[in-house]
This record gives sequence, structure tokens and C-alpha cells, in this order.
Amino acid sequence: MTRVLVVDDEIPIQRFLKPALTAAGYEVLIADTGREALRLVATSAPDLVVLDLGLPDRDGKDVLVDIRAFSQIPIIILSARDRETEKIAALDLGADDYVEKPFAIGELMARVRTALRHAGTGRDEAMRFDSGGLCVDLHRRLVSRDGQSLKLTPKEYTLLALLVQHAGRVITHRQILSTVWGPAHVDDAQYLRVLISQLRNKIEADPAIPKLLLTEPGVGYRLWVDD
Amino acid sequence: MPTDNPDPRRPDPDALLSLAAQEKRGKLKVFLGAAPGVGKTFAMLQGLQRLKAEGVDVVIGLVETHGRAETAALIEGQEILPRRIVDYRGRELDEFDIDAALQRRPKLIVVDELAHTNAPDSRHPKRWQDVVELLDAGIDVWTALNVQHLESLADVVARVTGVAVRETVPDRVIQSATDVVLVDIPPAELIQRLKDGKIYLPETAKRATQNFFTLSNLTALRELALRRTADRVDEQMVEHLRAQAIEGPWETSDHILVCIGADEQANAVVRAASRLATGLNGSWVAIHVEPTNLDDSNPERLKRVEDACQLAERLGATVHRTMGSDLVGEVLRFARRENVTQIVVGRSGPKRVWAPFSRRFTDEIIRLSTDTPVHVVNTSGAAAARKALLARLRWPKLDRLVVEGGAAVLAVAAAVGLGELLSAGARLPNLSMIFLLSVLFCAVRFGLWSAIGASFLSFLAYNYFFIEPLYEFTVASPQELLALIIFLIVSAFTGSLAARVRDQSYAVRRRAHNTQILYDFSRKLSGAAKRDEVLWASSTYLQKAQGGHIVFLIPEAGDLAVGSSWPPDIELTTGEMGAARWALQKREPAGWRTNTLPTMRFQFRPLITPRGVVAVCGFEPRQKDQPISPEDERALTAILEQTAIAIDRSLLIGEAVRAAALEGNERLRTTLLASLSHDLRTPLASITGAVTTLRQLGEQMSLSERQDLLASIEEESGRLTRFVVNLLDMSRIESGAMTVRRDFVDIADVVRTSVERARRTFPEIQLETSLARDLPFIRGDANLLEQVIFNLIDNAQKYAGDSGAIIHARREGNEVVISVTDEGTGIKPADLDRVFEKFYRGGRPDGRKAGTGLGLSISKGLVEAMGGKIEAQSPAVKRRGTRIIMHFPAVEAKETRPQ
Repeated sequence: MTRVLVVDDEIPIQRFLKPALTAAGYEVLIADTGREALRLVATSAPDLVVLDLGLPDRDGKDVLVDIRAFSQIPIIILSARDRETEKIAALDLGADDYVEKPFAIGELMARVRTALRHAGTGRDEAMRFDSGGLCVDLHRRLVSRDGQSLKLTPKEYTLLALLVQHAGRVITHRQILSTVWGPAHVDDAQYLRVLISQLRNKIEADPAIPKLLLTEPGVGYRLWVDD
Repeated sequence: MPTDNPDPRRPDPDALLSLAAQEKRGKLKVFLGAAPGVGKTFAMLQGLQRLKAEGVDVVIGLVETHGRAETAALIEGQEILPRRIVDYRGRELDEFDIDAALQRRPKLIVVDELAHTNAPDSRHPKRWQDVVELLDAGIDVWTALNVQHLESLADVVARVTGVAVRETVPDRVIQSATDVVLVDIPPAELIQRLKDGKIYLPETAKRATQNFFTLSNLTALRELALRRTADRVDEQMVEHLRAQAIEGPWETSDHILVCIGADEQANAVVRAASRLATGLNGSWVAIHVEPTNLDDSNPERLKRVEDACQLAERLGATVHRTMGSDLVGEVLRFARRENVTQIVVGRSGPKRVWAPFSRRFTDEIIRLSTDTPVHVVNTSGAAAARKALLARLRWPKLDRLVVEGGAAVLAVAAAVGLGELLSAGARLPNLSMIFLLSVLFCAVRFGLWSAIGASFLSFLAYNYFFIEPLYEFTVASPQELLALIIFLIVSAFTGSLAARVRDQSYAVRRRAHNTQILYDFSRKLSGAAKRDEVLWASSTYLQKAQGGHIVFLIPEAGDLAVGSSWPPDIELTTGEMGAARWALQKREPAGWRTNTLPTMRFQFRPLITPRGVVAVCGFEPRQKDQPISPEDERALTAILEQTAIAIDRSLLIGEAVRAAALEGNERLRTTLLASLSHDLRTPLASITGAVTTLRQLGEQMSLSERQDLLASIEEESGRLTRFVVNLLDMSRIESGAMTVRRDFVDIADVVRTSVERARRTFPEIQLETSLARDLPFIRGDANLLEQVIFNLIDNAQKYAGDSGAIIHARREGNEVVISVTDEGTGIKPADLDRVFEKFYRGGRPDGRKAGTGLGLSISKGLVEAMGGKIEAQSPAVKRRGTRIIMHFPAVEAKETRPQ
């Protein structure tokens, strides 16, 4: 049975997360503090961590760094909308995804499923993407939209490949800039905006209303996956 | 091709700039005439009618028709500004109303008679200053002027016509004019017009003719007017050529220096220099060197210097005033520094009696100025020199004469007594040394005149008492006579030398005194951090240095307010405020002895720093009818400059404090946002999560799990509601919108309801109450008090958990005391005062910040609104816990009895 560790000190949150995750078929572990969370990750081998950034004993980001020091377990961040920089920092530090409070349970469940799928299936199999009419085969370097083959520039392809490899999960601006343009350009967000708009023009049915390449305001981009 | 050299025929940027400046300013058109009656006003009004017909917005500010019918006819149909009626010593004067003109703001205004002197108490003493203000405001002005009123020509006109001209206009006003129009008719025709009664009013015409309107006078004046106009046209041509980068022979580099002395001829020398500068089309500067070895208490001398300097300024020179003992050296050093090409000096007067070997200034400057031409102005020759000498040999005032003369008599009498005494004891060969001693005493204590008096008295007394034949003013042997004369010369010499030493030491003492004041002042200032302290220090020290009343005005919301004054309760009149505002707006001195409102008690000076005018200082002069001495002026300037810097510094400090406060506010806002975001989001997240869970996964859940989720939704909604209520209460208290009833309140009742409500909200909590019997009523609002007690219990629950709280209520004197005590961790002593602040939150046992930080501050607001007091104590029991105590005034039993 898949085991999910919920790290949050707010009793009311625990009160609904636990029955919800249980009802969805997961085994639920609860940690109130960062110290407890680390202990449980080390000893109880959970398959996924839902981590609140505001913990009583220490910063959630530090807990994240400590977990990443010995485990590649998927981690989903619970955070407040007004702490955008913390969110981005957490993603850059190795978190897999994030959910903003307040959230509907369905959203969290979808993120949990995506994260588990990536972790379980491994990177190799994320070489193919087929959703919403867009088909990408990274082995053969083929991109098609509704059966029509698309011509992408090298940069557009690099970006799309990155998104496909992390399909369904958010990728921060920084991660994209670093991969596509190199570490020297992590602050040149304007490059990215131009490239995203070019890519949308090619892969979206209606570039004005993107359905595939979604913007996560202030954080990054996400390639939408049909569950 | 190298482009290093700019195109030599590029238009001169300075010339273009000055053109640009002219465009923003109003344009001045001067109708220049040789004499009254040539038709200036008439020509001006004709031009005006033409403009009016073209639809230009023109207004007549002031026109004198002198009762001439043709002129009056031209005014018909024009808009005329009403004149300002001024009551001056029982006479009504009507003056040009500059404020009305500025308010009306026409495109063009006509202001006749540029040389007119305004009534006292006007903003400016002279009409030309009104015109300059209009031009500065961007209004075009047409005006009329007779050539004899031009400042630089005043003495020429006086010499030619024999009529002294009192009302003058600085040449630079004409030089700044865009156009000068010459209105000219032949002199003979003018005289004919005068005879026909077309000029002035008939009864004055006759006298005017005799004094002024002679053919020779008018011809000379006409020539002057023609030449001035030609000069102006020439200048315009040069300006045009420079602006258009047309090559031409406009080269001029003459820079003229005029030395202003303290003698009678100073004004004449300045005028001569001005004419020379105009003639050479060069620039000019004036210098006055104040001798350091001079006791500058002679007011007439100072006034002459002041007048000459002001004249030079009016004529367009830059005036430099320095101090030095080597006058010639100072002047020549200055000349070299300024690259002066020609020097103008007056002719020195005769040599001084007591310094026959000193060189005269003029001779010295000619001798030493080897590479610069020197013009020596010979004014009225010997007469002026004699007058100058007489002025220098001016007798001291009567009271001083009595003191100094008396001192000389007494000193000589003492010398006679001592001489008699000594010669009675021993036969001394020469007693003259004793008399020399008395002369020196007079010189050192009472100055030159006393010393000279003592010399002569000694001469006579020595002769009378000690030289054979005794007790007669005759001298027996010629050797004795020779000795006596030598004695007189020696004593006069040493006396005058000693007197000069005395004067110098006096000057040094005064300077030391001023330096001491300045030094004390700067020390005092360095300790003053606030603007008011700075102003107070400045006003007391200025009072010490200056003597009169002092007032500092601070610019506030576009106007001026009195910041500090000495004596502390000075009230300024409207006129004085006007002068102060002028100083603020124009950044130049106004009031007493300036060009603006000179009849005021005070002179106002702006204190200028890089941020602008930070204050205006008004001071009353020590003596109203004399200019400020250079020594005082220096002290004044130094104090004002230091004050300006200190004010600037105090403002910077104030800004730093404000910035820090702003930062504090910013932090508070951040805390508020974090608190709001956490306290609103957590219940919302729980509710949303529980609801969506129930909807999507409810079917997979057991009944008890579903019930628990529903309960959590209910609880979190309650939490959210309490938070929102608290926020609303807080904002109501802060905005004063909270209405508080003043009913009789039964405390026991209120405590009971609050406790019940708390038990409903926190089912697990343990609450104890201990209420004294027969508690008196208090006045207040039962609902609000219940809210307060509930908040306190809520707080206790937050910090002490379900170990709960004890509520006490008892009577103490004529107060009712209610307290809520918990056994939580308590409050740190340092934080006891802060717990009632908004958004202050204590730490919970688990280290997290708890609550909204609103409960206690709302409680405080409510308790105070009901006339009570609230305080916090910690630790409360057994070194733990917190006690919040409220005091309310008890209502006496008889008040509550039904009537």
C-alpha cells in the first residue's frame, strides 16, 4: 500500500487530510514537526511527503534540504499564496510540486498521483508524451500536433523536452533558464517569455487560451497531463 | 577629418541661452525721450491702440496724462487698472497696483514714468522694480523714460543742466529692454509746445522753463538720448551677430575695476567707471577694502561707502568688500585674480598731518600697477579734497569732547604736580618726559584728539611752570624754545602713534569678541539636533551680536510661520510678513535698507541650502539710520550661514527619524499581513479541504469520519467568525465608530454569560469564578464587557490550554476590580507593556506565535471606552501565569435607587 507522510502542525488540516487520503487508498502517517518528519522519512519509508512550509520547530525548506540529502522521495509542498519566493525556493531545492492553501482535495490528489507516477515509472519512460492532441517522442525527436508534424527550433525543442520530462509538474523559471540557456542566464526571464510564446504558437490550438503549456503565476510553467 | 574643433561658426551657446531666458521673461519696450513733453506717453498709447485693435490682451497699468487732452483721448476704451490709494501723512497718493497687475496677468501692460519713486510702504521703493517683477512674471511691459533719469548719466545731466536728478533708473533695466524707441522732437519745437501749454499744467510751466527747458539743456539732453539709443542698437546688433554666429568685430574683453573709497568723491568715481565700462562695452567690478587698522565707528564714513557700493550695484557692477591693512596690495591682488584690464581710482586727498611720510593711495597704485592702465578720476578738484580733509578732521561730538578734553587737562595737571614735586626734591635736568607720559596716557585711554590736546597743553604748561622765566608764557633762551618746539612735535607724533595703536587694539578686541561669539555659537549649534533648538540658539546669539529684535520664520505649507524669536513674543505686521515672503520667494534680502519694502523695521534674509530656503531670518538693525558695519555684517552672515547648515542637518535628522518610523510601520504592516493571512487561511483551508473531501471521498468514509469532518467545518467557521468580529471591532474602535452604552451593569451577570459562552466554545476548558457578594454596579455596556471577558478567557485558553482560568470580581474602595488569571507560561516582564499593542502576539508553549494579536488590544479599547483601566501582571501565581486586571469606577448604591 502506498504510504503518504503528511507534515503539518495545524490540527484542522490533519483532521481532513487523514480521512481523505485514507479514503483514496493511501496509508497516512502524520508528523507535527520537522524533526518528527525527518525521523519518519528515515524509518517508515513513505512513498511521498506532503510538507507544510510553516512548521513550529524549523523552516519547511530546511526539512526539505535534509530529506533531499538522503532521499529522492517525491515531495509536495503545501504553501500560502503570499509566500511565492519560498515556494520557488522550495521547488529549486528539489520539491516536486506545490499546492496552494486553501485547496480542494481533488487538486491535491491529482498532484499526488502525478508525483507518484513519475517516481514509480522512472525517468526513462517519460520520453513519450501524448495528451491534448500533442505528441512528443523524445527518442526519435518527433513532435506532432493532431498528426501534423511540427518544426521546432533547437531552443523550442529543448524547452519542450524539459516540460515533457516533468509533465504534469511545475518547473520554475530558474530551472528552465538554467537548462535551456545555461546557468549564466538564470535571471533573464524575458528570454523565457519570448520562447514560451513562440512554443505556444506552434503547439497550442489557440495560443491565446493555452490548454497545454500552462503558466503558474510567479513560479514557472507546467505541461498539462490528462489524467 | 578630425572633429575635435567645434565649428567656429556655431552659434555661441551663451548667446542662445540668454535669448532663451528672454523668451520666458516678459519683453520690455522703453520709450526714451530727451525731456518731458516730447510725446512718449502719446506714442506709447498710439501703439497700444493698434495692438488692441489686433486683439492683443493689453491693459493700462498706469498712465499720467498731465491733463493733456490728446493723451486722455487715447485712453478711451482701454482697460485701466484701478490705482492703489495710499494714505501718506494725511495726503492721499495713488500708486500703481502691482498685485492687481500680477493677478490680472495681461499679455502686455503699460506702466508710465519708469523713474517714479513709489510711496513709502510700497513693496518696492522704485517703480522700475515693479516693472522688473512684472517682466519676471512673464508679462510684457511698455514704459516711458526721460534720458536724464538714467543712473550713469545722472551726474553728467546735473553738470550740463545744473538740475540735480533724484529719481534714477539703473542702466541695466534699459540694457535688458527688448526694444528702445526714441521719441524725438527738435528742442525749439519742444519749447514752443511748452509755451503753448501743452506740457505740464500751465502754472508749473513757467518755473520748469526757467530751470530746465533751455535750448542748450534740451540740445544736450537730446544728444544724450540719441547716443544712448544708438548704444542700445549697437548692443542689439552684437547680440544678433553672436546668436547667429555671424563673424564680426564685436570682440571686447575689457574688464574694469573701480576702487571705492570712503571719501566724498566715491559716487562720482563709480559713475565714471560705469560710463567707461559702457563706452568700452566691457564688464566691470567694484572693490572696497576696509582698512583693518581703522576704528569703524564713524557712521558717516560707513554710509558713504555703503552708498557708493549700492550705486555700483545699481549700475551693474559686482561689488566685492574685503578687509586688509595693505589697501593697494589687496586691490592689485584682486585685479590680477579677476584679470582686470583697467583700474579706475579717485584722486587721493592731501596727506594726513600725523602721517606725512605715508604714501597716498592713488600714487601707490599708479606706482605698483605696472601692467594695468590706471584712470584717475579728478572730480571737483580741490573743493572736494578740502571737504574730504574737513570731514576727516571732523571734531568729535560734544560729550566726547568734554570727556577727552577733560582727560587731557587732568593728565597735564597731574604732570605739572608731579614735576613740581620732583623738582622740589631734586633738580632734574629735563621734565618733558613726564609730560610725554601724560600725552601717551591720553592717547592710549582716550584716543587721538585727547592726545593732541594734551600735547598742546603740555607744551604750554611746561613752558609756564618749568622754563625760565617761570610762570610766564615767554621763553628766555632760544635753546629752550627749540627744545620746546621739538617737544611739541615729538609729543604730537608719539600721541598720534599711540592713539592708532589704541584704535587697532580696539578693533582687534571687537573682532575677538565677534570671533568668540561665533565660536560659542558653533559649539552651541553642534549640540542642537532639532530645528527649534537651532533656531532658538541662533536667535539668542544673533541678539547678542546684533542687538535688536530677531525673528526666524519657517516655510510651512507654502507660507511662513514664526519659528523662534527674541524677545519670544514678536508679532509681525502684514508689511513685514510681505517682506519676509519676498525674501523666501526671491531668495534675496528684503525689508530695511534693501530694494524691497525698505521702510520696514526688520531686514529679512533667506537661509539658503541646497534643498532651498529653509528659513527666513528677520533682524532689527542696531541703528536704524546707519548701514551695518562690515564687522557686524560678517558676523551676521557667518551666523546665518551656520544656522542654515544646522537647520539642514536637523531636517536630515528628522527625515532619518521619519524613515525609521516608516520602516517600523512597514514592519507592522508585514506582521499584520502575515497574521491575517495565517489566521484567515488556516480555517479556510480546513473548511475547503473538509468540504471537498466530503464531496469527493465521502462515500468511501465511515459515518464517524464524516461526522468529524462536519464538526471540524463548524468549529473552523466559528474560529473564522470570531476573527472577523475581532477585526471589525478593532476597526470600529480605531475609527471611533464604536458606540458604548452607559447603562448600569451587573458584573456577576456578565461574568456568568461570558463563562457560559466560553464553555460552549471550548468544551474542555476548566473555568472557576470567584465573585464577591453585593458587588456594586458599574456604568458601561454589558455586551461589550462580556466580549472583553470572553476575549480574556480565549487568551487564557490559547496560552494555558485547557488548564483554564479563574475569574475574580471584588470591590476595592470605590472601584470594582475584575481579573482573569491563567496558569500558562506568563509574559516576559519586558513585554508587559506591549501586550495591549495591536498585533502583539506572545509565544505559545510549542514556539509558534498564537492568536491574532487583537484580543487584548480590543479589550483595552473597550474597557477604556467604558471609563475603566486595564493592566497585565505576570507572573500571577507560583511564578507562572498571567493576570489581566480591570478597574471600573463603582456606582454608589443611592444612584441606583428608583427615584
